[in-house]
Amino acid sequence: MTVVNAAGTVAAAGAAPYLEVRGLVKTFGADRAVDDISFTVPKGKFLTLLGPSGCGKTTTLMSIAGLHRLDAGDIRVGGTVFTSVADGLFLPPEKRDIGMVFQSYAIWPHMTVAENVAYPLAIRKLDRAEIDARVDEVLRLVGLAAMAGKLATQLSGGQQQRAALARAIVFRPRLLLFDEPLSNLDLKLREQMRVELKRIQREVGITSVYVTHDQAEALVMSDEIIVMSKGRIEQRGGPHDIYARPLNRYVSNFIGVANLLEGRVARVTAPGRGELEIRAGGERIQLPCRLGEGVAEGAAAVLSVRPENVQAAREHRSGPRLEGEVIETIFLGNCVDCRVRWGGFEWKVLAHPRAALRPGERVYLHLDPEHSLAVQP
Amino acid sequence: MSSPQAALGTLAPARAPSRWRSLVTQESVATLAASLVVAAAVLLPLATLIVSSFLVMDRSGFDAHWGLDNYRALVFDRIIPKAFVNTLVISTGATVLATVLGVSLAWINARTNCPWREGLEPFNLIPFFLSPFVGAIAWHNLAAPKTGLLNAWARDYLGVQGHLLNVDNIYGVIWVTGIFFTPLVYLFVVGSLRRMDPALEDSARTTGAGLLRTTLTVTLPLVLPGILSGAIIVFVTSAGEFGVPFKLGAPYGWETLTTQIFSKAVGDDANHYLGATMAMALGAITAVFVWIQQRVIAPRAFTTVTGKGFRPNVVDLGGWKWVALGYNLVFILVAVVLPILCLFVVSLHPVWEGGIIPRDMSFRNYQKVLFFWSPDSIQAATNGIFNSFILAFAGASIAMVLSLVVSYMIHRTKGFGSRLLDFLCVVPIGFPGIVLAMGVLVVYIKTPIYATLWILLLGYITRFFPYGQRNVSAVMLAISEELDQSSRMAGASWLTTLRRITIPLLKPGIFAGWLLLFIIFLRELSISIILYTTGTETLSVGVYYLVNFENEPLTAALSIAQTVVLLACVVLFRRIAGREALTA
Repeated sequence: MTVVNAAGTVAAAGAAPYLEVRGLVKTFGADRAVDDISFTVPKGKFLTLLGPSGCGKTTTLMSIAGLHRLDAGDIRVGGTVFTSVADGLFLPPEKRDIGMVFQSYAIWPHMTVAENVAYPLAIRKLDRAEIDARVDEVLRLVGLAAMAGKLATQLSGGQQQRAALARAIVFRPRLLLFDEPLSNLDLKLREQMRVELKRIQREVGITSVYVTHDQAEALVMSDEIIVMSKGRIEQRGGPHDIYARPLNRYVSNFIGVANLLEGRVARVTAPGRGELEIRAGGERIQLPCRLGEGVAEGAAAVLSVRPENVQAAREHRSGPRLEGEVIETIFLGNCVDCRVRWGGFEWKVLAHPRAALRPGERVYLHLDPEHSLAVQP
Repeated sequence: MSSPQAALGTLAPARAPSRWRSLVTQESVATLAASLVVAAAVLLPLATLIVSSFLVMDRSGFDAHWGLDNYRALVFDRIIPKAFVNTLVISTGATVLATVLGVSLAWINARTNCPWREGLEPFNLIPFFLSPFVGAIAWHNLAAPKTGLLNAWARDYLGVQGHLLNVDNIYGVIWVTGIFFTPLVYLFVVGSLRRMDPALEDSARTTGAGLLRTTLTVTLPLVLPGILSGAIIVFVTSAGEFGVPFKLGAPYGWETLTTQIFSKAVGDDANHYLGATMAMALGAITAVFVWIQQRVIAPRAFTTVTGKGFRPNVVDLGGWKWVALGYNLVFILVAVVLPILCLFVVSLHPVWEGGIIPRDMSFRNYQKVLFFWSPDSIQAATNGIFNSFILAFAGASIAMVLSLVVSYMIHRTKGFGSRLLDFLCVVPIGFPGIVLAMGVLVVYIKTPIYATLWILLLGYITRFFPYGQRNVSAVMLAISEELDQSSRMAGASWLTTLRRITIPLLKPGIFAGWLLLFIIFLRELSISIILYTTGTETLSVGVYYLVNFENEPLTAALSIAQTVVLLACVVLFRRIAGREALTA
């Protein structure tokens, strides 16, 4: 398990970097859309840039594609320089050999599906037979073989999505870029396409960079995730690491749902372990927990506990616990989403439906020190 | 040869291309060239106008010195101040008339159950494509005190003494200008009425507001920016209109700024510097209004379009729907049917004195104005036909190429250049043709292009390419930039992308824009009248020549010929561009 620091300079263990992005800066007027971003992706891996709109993820992607000019930084793929501001180098987008799937799919409406997919091959002056064979092959791969002769405008959203993917991979590019490709699909189709995109990417083995604001998408599809905010990298790591060990309040809040309480590290008991003092309203307690990176004794920290790691019960057990009042329960079928007031704070708790908690009840919240994390504010 | 340098070169290929070379791309060269051309074409005439307005002509008419006498003349001259007032009165009157007609007709067509409204719409728009100058000639023949057909009928059938109607005055100018510019308001309003989300009104109704209250508090405010935009455009266009006041105003003592500029440009008392000063004054007024429309009103236009196809709420007028139909039919009658029919009838007579004389009728006049091979043909007219087709074809083609490059630059390349270009494309709209033409005349009068078709071509393109550019831009905004980008990512260069993706996608917009310019150029008068010389007459100049030096029936014949060609273009335009093309 490799958790990489915010600068992201250390590659995932054991793999040589294929895509290298160093010191990226892009400003729009006074606004620094991308502010010194560096990362690398090993060959064949799937990296996701995750963040809210305006965090600089799309700008980073566009810079890799060559559709934006940089203000500073280098981009290399497999040793080829794509952009180097210091050396005054800029490879035009059409020379980069990158496949890209756009948010709007950008299927050309004046061409058929087959013509759309054949376009990159025609540009590369392949002969007719070769083009037909490869178009056929790739349409089969994405499940559009029957649609080859249809006009782009006759396709559904999901089909346009597949056609866009086919067009992006048909010329076996060095790199595959995705710009929020699923955001225009409805929920069911989106969940299905997540799995399918990942399958196809794994099958063709093209190194991919994927941009999204949807954390569920990032968790499902990625080998690695970079969480971004305001043009900077907040954290980089595998989906599990990012979820289980967020580096700071921002990441913890952005990925999944978390109870976040401000506090102070009372003492460090062992490397990576300690006690955090938290208060809310009149209440105040010291809780044993794990200490995240960069959290030291006496420093301000934020307690991050996922709702599924809080147990609510009418009887108290041994160990650290909080006593509160159930104020709301929302039945979700497989679980109950509860709000429990403790001091001035409302805990989000996922309870089993059998627990049958009711608003107004007094309950005890039990926190497992293993799954309670003190992170940077 | 293996010099150390060559070895270094292979070791560090990253050093080879320098910073500036990466800036020299197909894209940047083409766009830089286009912006220079546009900047020169637009700014040079206007800058020259400003400079020459401070030059004062000597009495001898040969020399000039610096001074403010021209500006003094604007205030103290015998005629110019009156012309100024007349221009303002005419523009205001025409704006009120066109706005009332345009808004009411748009509402009837977009929002009521008026019968046959689908079929009426194209006829409501016809005046937009025709020449207001020809409209003025037609209305002169319909309602001149002595020779007007309507007045003759009033005398014969109603027993009216003298005359019933008289359009040979400032009111006639207002009337003809107003009805001919009604489609401008109509187009601005009908689009937003038709594409308004019905939920906006429905939600007002559900809160308990009645139909009238909903219309006043929801519908009208949403359409108001469109109405104001239309009204301002009518005001500005009326102020710059030359043909109508030239036919119905000036001969009867109602001079306007445009007729005065014209007489200072080519008349017996030619004084280009004074003409330039008046053009400056007129241009200053129109530019301010257009600036207000573009920068203050247009951005406030509410986005009532959400991309979904709406079926707007339709008001059931009950029995009143027949009144609405009658109202609309009367508009078409006075704006389209009567003028064209009257011109046609007049054109068949050897002379016109107000009465229809069936046994005198013939097509001889058409022979004189159309058939250049016929011995008694009138050259100014036949030349005009040739020249106008050449100018319209070449002008529309060049302007659309320019429009394409300029639109591409504005919408697909970001940065300072694109914003400057966006501004430059609005500037020509702010200045009436006659003003810009005055500038072009002063700039190029001593160059070889003067007295050729080239100077007309330059004037046409400079003044009107923004219209073509708007057509292309509208389509370009509607198609995602990602369609271009994905072609680049697929490995195509900028030029290949332009050729294989961008232009094919823009084709409908390009062709609609081309045809619109073709129509505008075929009827163009106020630029041509300043820049033409013997041999480079245009169709409208031909009409002007016949008005001045020949009789009404010959004038009517050429007018009808022009109208027929324009109507044919309109049919083509509607077939290709669809009915929404103009309402964007």
